[in-house]
Amino acid sequence: MTIAQSPIDFAAPGLSTQPAALNADERATRRLGTYLTLPTQILLAFIVIFPLLMELYISLSSWTPLDGRNWLYAYRYWAGLDNYWELISNARFWQSIGRTLFIMVVCVPVELLLGLGLALLFAGEFRGKRLFYSIMLMPMMVVPAVAGYMFFMLFQSGGPINNILSTLSGGAVSIAWLSRPNLALAAVMIADIWQWTPLMFLILLAGLLGVPEDQLRMATLLGAGPWWRFRLIVLPRIRAILLIALAIRTIEIFKVFDTLYIMTTGGPGVSTETISVYIYKVTMEDLQWSYVAAIALVILVVLSALAAPAIKRFAPAR
Amino acid sequence: MAAITLENLSKNFGAFAALKELNLEVRDREFVALLGPSGCGKTTTMNLISGLLHPSVGRILFDTRDVTPIPMDRRGVGFVFQNYAIFTHMTVRQNLAFGLRVRRLPPSEINRRVGAIAEMMQLTKLLDSRTDKLSVNILQRIAIGRSAIVEPAIFLLDEPLSNVDAAFRQVMRTELKTLQRQFKQTMVYVTHDQLEAMTMADRIAVLDQGILQQVGSPLEIYNHPRNVFVARFIGSPGMNLLNGRLSAENGQTFVDLGPAGRTDALPSGLARAAERAQSANVLVGVRPEDLECVDGATESGLTLVVSFVERIGHRTVVHLGAGAQSAKMTAHSTFVAALGSALRLRARAAGLRLFDRSSGLALTLE
Amino acid sequence: MYDVSRPSSWFWVLRYALIFLALIIALIPIAWMASMAFKPVEEWTAAGTDLHWLPLRPTLDNFRMIFGSSNSRLIVSIEQTAARPIIASLLAASVGTAIAMICGTLAAYGVSRFDAGRNLPLALLQLRIFPPMAVMIPVMIMWTFLGLVDTWYGLALIYGIVTLPFAFWLMKTFFDEMPRELEEAALVEGCTRFRVFYRITLPVLMAPFASAALLVFIFNWSDYLIALLLTTKEWRTIPVYMSSLSSSMTGQLYGAKAALGLIAALPPVVLGLAIQRYLVRGLTFGALKQ
Repeated sequence: MTIAQSPIDFAAPGLSTQPAALNADERATRRLGTYLTLPTQILLAFIVIFPLLMELYISLSSWTPLDGRNWLYAYRYWAGLDNYWELISNARFWQSIGRTLFIMVVCVPVELLLGLGLALLFAGEFRGKRLFYSIMLMPMMVVPAVAGYMFFMLFQSGGPINNILSTLSGGAVSIAWLSRPNLALAAVMIADIWQWTPLMFLILLAGLLGVPEDQLRMATLLGAGPWWRFRLIVLPRIRAILLIALAIRTIEIFKVFDTLYIMTTGGPGVSTETISVYIYKVTMEDLQWSYVAAIALVILVVLSALAAPAIKRFAPAR
Repeated sequence: MAAITLENLSKNFGAFAALKELNLEVRDREFVALLGPSGCGKTTTMNLISGLLHPSVGRILFDTRDVTPIPMDRRGVGFVFQNYAIFTHMTVRQNLAFGLRVRRLPPSEINRRVGAIAEMMQLTKLLDSRTDKLSVNILQRIAIGRSAIVEPAIFLLDEPLSNVDAAFRQVMRTELKTLQRQFKQTMVYVTHDQLEAMTMADRIAVLDQGILQQVGSPLEIYNHPRNVFVARFIGSPGMNLLNGRLSAENGQTFVDLGPAGRTDALPSGLARAAERAQSANVLVGVRPEDLECVDGATESGLTLVVSFVERIGHRTVVHLGAGAQSAKMTAHSTFVAALGSALRLRARAAGLRLFDRSSGLALTLE
Repeated sequence: MYDVSRPSSWFWVLRYALIFLALIIALIPIAWMASMAFKPVEEWTAAGTDLHWLPLRPTLDNFRMIFGSSNSRLIVSIEQTAARPIIASLLAASVGTAIAMICGTLAAYGVSRFDAGRNLPLALLQLRIFPPMAVMIPVMIMWTFLGLVDTWYGLALIYGIVTLPFAFWLMKTFFDEMPRELEEAALVEGCTRFRVFYRITLPVLMAPFASAALLVFIFNWSDYLIALLLTTKEWRTIPVYMSSLSSSMTGQLYGAKAALGLIAALPPVVLGLAIQRYLVRGLTFGALKQ
C-alpha cells in the first residue's frame, strides 16, 4: 500500500525537472486517474465508435433487415453513395427538417420570452412564493410521453380545450385539432411550450437572482424606473444565461419525439412529422435501415461541426 | 434649500427596534456625521432618509415637504453605498452618465456634464475603461461622481472611506469637503471612525442601539459629553470614568474615589451641578490627557498603579489601576514608569466631569 | 428583489393575477388527466355540455382495470396488467441510474482531481446533443446481437449510457467546488487515495450525490423512445405500455390510460420537487448554479 502524492505536488526540491521521468508516485496517480475514467471511456466508445462504424458501413449498402441476412453481409448489397443521393433529393426528409426548424423557430423564442416574463414575476419575495414556484415547475417534470397523452386528451374535438373556448366565445366550438394539419402542428407546439417554458423560467430566475441587488437599488436611487433598470442593469447581466437557456432548449427541441409522437404519430399525414419522427417511421415502418444510417451519419456530422466551436467558446476545456 | 428634519423616526424589523424615536434636524448645507458603533442605527437612518426603507413610525421632511410617502426614485437624494455598487458591466463613462441618461437628457448635455464631473474627480483618463478591475480608490470616486452628477441637494455617504487605504483617506476627506462646499449640498455622513467625524463634520450625531445619544459640534461633544456612552466613545482613548462618592468638607465638594484617592476640590460650577445628583454615587470623568503626575505628597490627589505602558510614537498611554477601577493617562513619548509602581496624579480642574452613576447622564448646570 | 421601490397596490394585484393565471395554465392538463383517471367509462368521452371537469361519479375502476381485475361492464382485453411495466420501469431506471452514477462519479473524480480523461467533458456533452434516433439502428443491431433486446438489463445498460453525461457533469461540478485541502490533509496523514475518497470526499457530497442520482433516475424513468425500440412484450416500460393500450371495443381507453399516466407521472414530479435546489445545475450541465 503506497502513499500516493497529490498530483499538484511537484517533485521534491533538489530533483531536476525532467519532464520525461515521472517518479513512481506520479505514475501511480496517473494510473489511478486512468482506472477511474476507464468504465466511462469504454461505454463512450461502445456507444460512439461501434455505431459510427456500423452506420458508415451500412449506409454504403442497400441492406435492410428484410433481406434476411445479418448486417455484416451488407457488402453484398453494395450501393455506394446511393443513400446519400437519396437523402439529398428526398422531399419528405427535407420537409421534416423544415418542420423541425419551424417548430424550433416558433417555440424557443416563445418559451424564452414567457420564461423571462415568469421569472420577472417571481423575482422578489411574496407570500406563497415557494409553493407557487414548485407548482410552476411541475409541467417540465411530467414524463414527456404522459404529457403527450394529456394533450391528446385535451385537444379532442369534445375535449376541455374546445370546452373552454366555447365558454369564452359563447358559441359551441368543436375544432378538430388533431385531424387538421395546421392545427395539429399548432397543438404540438402548444404542448411543447406548456412543458418547457418552466425550464426557461427556472434557468432565467436563477440568472435574475445573480443580478446584484445593490446595483438595482443604486439605479433606482439615481432615478431609474423599472424599464430602465431592466434594460440597463438586468438585461446586460443575464445575457450569458439567456444564451445558455437558448442553446439548451434549441438542442432539445431538435430531438423532439415523445410528446409529439403520442399526440399525433406525426400526422395527420405528415403534417407534424419532425426529423425524429421521420427517422423512426422509416426505420420501423419502411425498414430502410441503410438509408436511415446515411441520414444518421449526416446529422451526427453536421451537429458535431456546429456544436464543437460553440461549446469551445462557452466552456474552454480545462 | 435642503434641510432635513427627522421627526420621531422609528424603524422596527419584526421585534427588533433598529431606530427609536429619532428626532434630528440637519440644516441646509450642513455636514452632519452619524457616528456610533456597529448596529447603532446609522445605516438604518440613511436608508430611511433616502427612501430605501419606510419608517415604522414618524416622518421625514425635506425643508417643509413631507417626503415620507415619496418613493426612493423620486426623492432626489444622492447616496454612496459602502461598497459603491458600481455598475461593473459598464464603463466609467456609462456609470457617470447613468443618472442623466435615465432622465433622458440630450447626449450633448450628458457628455458635457460627464466631462465636467470626470475632470473634478480626476477620472478623465479612465472614462472609457471598464470598471470591473479598477482599484477601490478609483471606484469610490466614480461612485461619488455618479451620484453628484445629478446635482442632488442632499447627499448621503455610508462609510465611503472605510475601504480606502489609509494613505488615501486624508486626501479623500479633503476632497469630499471641497465637493460639498462646491455643490452647496447638505451632507449626511456615516462613519464609525470618530477621527473622520471630528475632522469633517459641522455637527456630529452620536447613536447607540437605535437611540440618539447627543448632537453637537465636534468640540461640544468632545468637551461636554451628555452621557457616559458619549464620554467613553469619543476620544482615543475615551474618557476615564471612575466610581466615586461625593463628599463635602469645609464647604467644598470632593469626590472620594476609594483606593484611588480623592479628587481636588471641585470647581464651583461643577460643585453646584453636583447638587443635582440623585445620590452621592457618581462617576468622575476625566480625559487621559487631563491627568498629570504630581511630585511630592499632597493631601488630595489620586494614586494609581501602573499596569501597562503603551508607546505609540509621539505619545505614551499609561494604563493604570486601583482596586477595581482602571484608567488611562496620556503622556509625552519620553515618559517612563515602572510596571507596578504607584503614581501620584491629579486631574486638571477644567477637565473634570461628573456623571450620575445610575442614569449615566452628565451632571451639568443646564 | 426586483421591485426595489415601493410599488403601488395595483402592481401587486396585477402581479398576483398573472401568477395565478400561469399556475392555472400549468395545472390544467395535469388536473384533467387526474380527473379522467377517476372517471367511469360513461364519462370518458363526454363532450359539450356533458363535459365536466370533475368526475360526477368518481371511481377506482380505471385503476382496477389496469391491474387486471375489472368489475366494469365492459369486456376489455388487456394482454398484460400494469404491474409488469411498472416493475420494468423501476428496474430499468434504477439499475440504469446506478450504472450512470457509478461510472459518472468515478470518471468525474478522475477528471476533477487527477486531470485524467480530458476528452470526457466535451465528449459527454456532445453525447447529449445527438438525437437518440440517430444511433438507434446500430444500438438495435448490437443489442440484438448481445441478446439484450426485451430485457430489463439491456434497457438499463442503454439508460446508463444515455444519462451518463448528466451524472458526470453534475458530479464534476460538485467535485470541483469541494476544496482539495480536506483531501490533501488526509493524504498527508497517510491515508490511501481510496480511503480518502470513501471517508472524506463522499460523505461531504452525500446530498449532492443523492440529488444527482434522483435527477438521473427521473430522466431514465421518463424515457419513451428507447424503450419503444428495445422492448417488445415482456419488459415494456410504463410509457410504452401506455401507448399500446387500446381496446377493439372502445378505441382509446381514456380513463385507464389516464390512471396509468398518473402513476407514471407521480415519481418524477415528487422527486423533482425534492431536488429543486440542484435542478438548474443539473439541467445546464453545471453552467449555472442556483
